[in-house]
Amino acid sequence: MAVERMNTVGQNVPRVDALERVTGRAEYTRDLKLPGMLYARVLRSTVPHARIRRIDTSAAEALPGVRAVITHETHRIPYGSGSIAGGRQYSDPHKDITTRLRYMFNAHVRFVGEPVAAVAAVNRHVAEEALGLIEIDYEELAFVLEPEDALEEDAPRVWSDGNLALDSENLPRPIGSSTGDVDTGFAEADRVFEDRYTTAFVQDAQMEPRSALAHWEGDKLILHTPTQGVSNCRHDNARDLGLADHQVQVVCQYMGGGFGDKNGSYYFDLIAAALSKDLGVPVMVELSRKDDWLGTHGRWPTVQDYKVGVKEDGTITAIQMHALSGMGPYLRRSGNIAGMDIYACENTERVIRPVHTNRMVSGNFRAPTYPQGYFALQSMMDDVSYRMGIDPVEFALKNIVRPTAEQPFTNYALDQCIEQGAELFDWAGRWNPQPGAGEGPVKRGAGVAYMMFNARLGASSAIIRVDSDARYTLYVGVTDIGPGAKTTMSLLAAEELGVPLAQVDIVWGDSDRCPFSVGESGSRTTTMTGYAVVEAARDLNRQIAENGMPEGDDVLIASATPNPSTDGKLRMGFGAHFAEVEVDEHLGHVRVTKYVTVHESGRILNPLPANDQIRGAVLQGIGQALHEDLLYDANYGHPLTAGYYGARHLTHLDAPEIENTFIETDDGYGPYGAKSVGESGIIIAPAAVANAVFNAIGHRMKDLPITRDKILGVLT
Amino acid sequence: MKAFVNENPGSIDEAVMLAQAALREGRSVSFAGGGTDLLQLVKERVPNRPGSGVPDVLVNLKRVAGIDQVTRNDQGGLTIGGLTSLTDLGANPQLRDRYAVLAEAADSVATRQIRNAGTLAGNVCQRPWCWYYRNGFDCYKAGGNQCFSIAGENQLHAIFGGGPSFIVHPSDLAPALVALDARFRVAGPGGDRSLSSNDFFVLPNEDVAHENVLGDDELLVSAVIPEPSGEIRSHFYKIMDRETWTHAVVSAAVVLEMDGEICRTARIVLGGVAPIPWRVPAAERLLADQRVTPELADSVGIASIEGARPLAKNAYKVPLTRRVVERAVLAAAARA
Repeated sequence: MAVERMNTVGQNVPRVDALERVTGRAEYTRDLKLPGMLYARVLRSTVPHARIRRIDTSAAEALPGVRAVITHETHRIPYGSGSIAGGRQYSDPHKDITTRLRYMFNAHVRFVGEPVAAVAAVNRHVAEEALGLIEIDYEELAFVLEPEDALEEDAPRVWSDGNLALDSENLPRPIGSSTGDVDTGFAEADRVFEDRYTTAFVQDAQMEPRSALAHWEGDKLILHTPTQGVSNCRHDNARDLGLADHQVQVVCQYMGGGFGDKNGSYYFDLIAAALSKDLGVPVMVELSRKDDWLGTHGRWPTVQDYKVGVKEDGTITAIQMHALSGMGPYLRRSGNIAGMDIYACENTERVIRPVHTNRMVSGNFRAPTYPQGYFALQSMMDDVSYRMGIDPVEFALKNIVRPTAEQPFTNYALDQCIEQGAELFDWAGRWNPQPGAGEGPVKRGAGVAYMMFNARLGASSAIIRVDSDARYTLYVGVTDIGPGAKTTMSLLAAEELGVPLAQVDIVWGDSDRCPFSVGESGSRTTTMTGYAVVEAARDLNRQIAENGMPEGDDVLIASATPNPSTDGKLRMGFGAHFAEVEVDEHLGHVRVTKYVTVHESGRILNPLPANDQIRGAVLQGIGQALHEDLLYDANYGHPLTAGYYGARHLTHLDAPEIENTFIETDDGYGPYGAKSVGESGIIIAPAAVANAVFNAIGHRMKDLPITRDKILGVLT
Repeated sequence: MKAFVNENPGSIDEAVMLAQAALREGRSVSFAGGGTDLLQLVKERVPNRPGSGVPDVLVNLKRVAGIDQVTRNDQGGLTIGGLTSLTDLGANPQLRDRYAVLAEAADSVATRQIRNAGTLAGNVCQRPWCWYYRNGFDCYKAGGNQCFSIAGENQLHAIFGGGPSFIVHPSDLAPALVALDARFRVAGPGGDRSLSSNDFFVLPNEDVAHENVLGDDELLVSAVIPEPSGEIRSHFYKIMDRETWTHAVVSAAVVLEMDGEICRTARIVLGGVAPIPWRVPAAERLLADQRVTPELADSVGIASIEGARPLAKNAYKVPLTRRVVERAVLAAAARA
């Protein structure tokens, strides 16, 4: 369905808070100051696996300016975040039965970077100095870094009862899904292919080193922290601290990037709360850049074994994946690996074992289960298409999922994304039917990948108030993590209310002042909270129609908590990426020279940030494909490449021009037909780049990142 | 960050005296030029001076006048002050014109912000960027007694001149300066001394903790580039893991002294492959009195990897070095 032109929606609207951000007036958590505030720093384990025999804080306590030193001996607060936004650990019932409870500080430390103590002092320098005076006697234990090694019978035990992650019933069962019967599918196949692909840990690497500022008013905790979900963050912290939700207020006005794993609480929220409670003054916990790298999370590394059955005509008859996900020592998120539902194949099997290791903790990173899955799956399928002598685009169009009577979609555009992308990219002109052909040393190649991503609907809330000056105030529990949620929410309100954007004020990011919100993960702020905004605006319009505009001190207020459904249909956004790379075979150097994306994300509410979201996500995906890793020393279990320098993140000079096109549709669901955008762009970028590298050099690079040493390794 | 005393001397002599005084009191000292890397080490509490740890005293050289520019000296060569910024080096018309290898090396360092603050002396004297040293391992370079890369992650480590430490020298300017046969002026308690840049750097089998001959109370004041006897054509070629802001995986500084289209002598110095700027005399000799052709450049590349001894994970550097040298030689010769 074509989209109708609207007033505010669909225009290029600059961010409503752009000015305060670029002029430095926006106050991020670390900018906040409260009277009498103390600063805290966190001491971290320097060993990958140990029991703390003894911890001596006396010298630190004696340092002038130090107000408190806390450890596992002084505080035993469970840290159980992550239960709401996708992880399974420590849901309320699970917390009662789990055998693997993590605490704010643990006497048994399981990775380099694990918090072991914190110091509050008059300033950050004294606090940091005091960390160096804390003496810890570690009883070092054998450690394990690789998921496969962790499953060996004689592997060091990260947990005494084994290294497989436990589900919510404390059982080491794999996760996954299956359809049809893969054995039948392989029997129907003319050819069967098997291969292994691996992906590395990559850090979200958001810009703002995390901080938390806590203070108490009586029994109520007021917490400023950079979160992607004030409601979830409040609930998580309240649960860990034994408080009711209303006893915790979470505030996040500005933050330096989300990228996935902040829809919940962090241990440093608890540290700030505990120190502030003990000392009776506000306490700001600050993470250094390195703390922020090792003491948070990134995408889980994977080992994926695929088996694919294909008929002579290229029809896929069965897909089987058996995989391991490296979760680090604590199960912060699911460890799932997605992507298989992109194919129409009736016989599929995904068996994924999330495994504990003594690396840093894995967590959600922009489309948490997708880029690693799509890289492996669509490298595998790309390889199959070459082996079958079929153009990868043709292979895709033959095998992609399509709506059926049993499984309808709200609308469908995957084939259109692929076809339009192939044309815009000039696939026929750029793709080499003979991969690796040519004299070199500089060779060009083209790769394709295609995806769909949920644009589901669900419950969220919004409140709108109008006063007699016709100022509309919108209350939404969103935080602005980068994609511009404040602007999107405001322009949805302005559109439905039929007023200029300048007449809408927004109150956001405060669990006391705003209604519940699902939090900014799953690319669902627009589809869920945005839908609530439209509903609330409709209600307010009705009230104004009935009662007229308020006069004097009167106001009209409308609130909405809709929970819309898609009537049993799948609601998906679709996309296809086409990458061209240049590989210098003498230098092992890969450069992305052209990148074309076509996305169907429903109606585009604000093209300016929507295009930026796709571009930024593609760049992160290229970084995952070609650069990023967190190397560990195998002898000491210590990470070596933490930080922007070490991880070799893409710089502006590495960024290709990314040409994005949106196919706009209105499927009649969501706010004016809008779907999800934020995560879509990263999902297939690693696969598209890897497939282009294969097309250039004729060698299939099966392990991310595709670095110079690996390329020169296969070429020489 | 560790607390330190910041001294701001007005002259080289005063700087040396302040350093000596602090050392006599048992305090550790570092000289600070641009400070872009030094402050990072102090923040991370990585021992800058092996044995004496994180500095107690920083002798900040920013008020020392007269050593922050490029001047023509009496012998017709160039004297480059140690505090000359990398940005100024890259933009200097005399360098760009006659000693392109050095200007190109300066332009290739890190980022614009770092080049604005970073200095020649700081770049030449920076500590290694080995990830073990930088991550607080008690290695040779931090004053300890082992090299963790040998049995560990050594993708970026030395294929020449390694042992017992296998760091690679991190400076981009150093190979260019050695290729230009620069002399270094060093100030210290005994007054000034001048030595060849070739003799400035030391291999770990001579002094495992340091990368150069400087004592704790000595500093690099300036580099002097001699007047070449004929036309020189030069080029700096650097391979990085991304387009900017990394050290060299492999680099080559090539200086050819030309007589028409005949190369009389060549100096080829590699970065990123050895604990010091690494000369490859066998490759240089092949170019003597020759016309530079693609075939010759290929042979020069092959000669440059003679004797390479890769570790478990850096064998890719060997073919890479060959190609880097080949291309750098061709690019230098193609200069008008």
